[in-house]
Amino acid sequence: MRSILIVLALVGCTTNVPTPTGTTCPDPDPNTLTYDNFGMQFMTDYCIQCHDSALPRSQRHGAPLYHDFETLFGVFVVSGHIDERAGFGPDAENAFMPPDRCPSVPGGALDSNCAQPSSEERRKLAEWLACERDRPHTF
Amino acid sequence: MPVGPRAVVLVALLGPASVRADHDHGAMQAGPSSFGASIAFVAASFDTMIYAGDYQSVVPSARWSNERFFVSAGLPLYRLLENGRTLYGPGDAMIHGRFVALGSTDRARAGVALGVMAPTGDPLTGLGMGHVMVMPSVWGTVRRGDVMLAGAAGFGHALGGSTHQGHGAWPLVEPMNISEVTWTASGELELAVALRAGVVFSGALPVGEGNTRAVTGVRVVWTEGRVETTAAIQAGLAGDPFIFRGVLETALRF
Repeated sequence: MRSILIVLALVGCTTNVPTPTGTTCPDPDPNTLTYDNFGMQFMTDYCIQCHDSALPRSQRHGAPLYHDFETLFGVFVVSGHIDERAGFGPDAENAFMPPDRCPSVPGGALDSNCAQPSSEERRKLAEWLACERDRPHTF
Repeated sequence: MPVGPRAVVLVALLGPASVRADHDHGAMQAGPSSFGASIAFVAASFDTMIYAGDYQSVVPSARWSNERFFVSAGLPLYRLLENGRTLYGPGDAMIHGRFVALGSTDRARAGVALGVMAPTGDPLTGLGMGHVMVMPSVWGTVRRGDVMLAGAAGFGHALGGSTHQGHGAWPLVEPMNISEVTWTASGELELAVALRAGVVFSGALPVGEGNTRAVTGVRVVWTEGRVETTAAIQAGLAGDPFIFRGVLETALRF
């Protein structure tokens, strides 16, 4: 039984799972990456075809409810999830999102290959999220 | 005195009180060493805070038992519909063992059990937990006339892995917490020589963060020679394990 547990534990350890990137915001925050100059476009290009609060469950292609990225608030409340699924950083390079197939229009059929962010864009995403968490917000 | 099959069938239902154990039906452990196999068909609908959909699964399993030991291993294969996306794939594999420590008749028996789940299912899509789950438990049964009562209590804990991606209990198909205390209570009545019916309550309390889970169900068990067929209808009471679930399982003892 002990051998079985060891084997199973090794199987578990080698499973590729979403991992926090460990990215930190430079101190002081340079404000070079913001929602207006980076985050909004990133989400528009790669995410909101499925992660949009206007989409009913049946049109989200598996995107969980309350993971809606058409606003800064929507991104902010699950920024850790985004980092673990799409961010690159010192501790992990997560490319679980976007998936392979996407709708060409929000809520539509999976009729096209998803646009994929570059490695540099994924690193910027992780850094922007890290910085955004510490910035003052009014929502 | 040989172990009565009715007692052990009920014991077989008392794995760790995870939702999965509720359909670990049909083990016939009637004395001499024997091998067996079973196949279960499962259909369920679910509606959690962030996901809604349904799933169907086929669960083949193999088993071995003698008078005091029972071991089974199974791998569920799923079709999962979650928020408009349909997926196919394996779930987490399950190995389960039980040992009869006290008692040798139907009247009163008790023992220990250990369930281990291996992360063969995809944790990103809700088919798997993403880590090994170890679930030791203790169980006992009492029989008076045509009525049998059974109970079990256990502890489930994840080895490795971390947060279930922040979704609380996970995966969608067999939600469990990272660490939890589990329980099961059941009663069964012999309606005829080969026909029994019963009710089951089971659930889990999280240790640390997580969701309390509770399930109830009714089942009918028909035994004919070496074949045993179980039909069950279950309902989620708390923690959103599912809304309703149906299980049909046939087990054959070689």
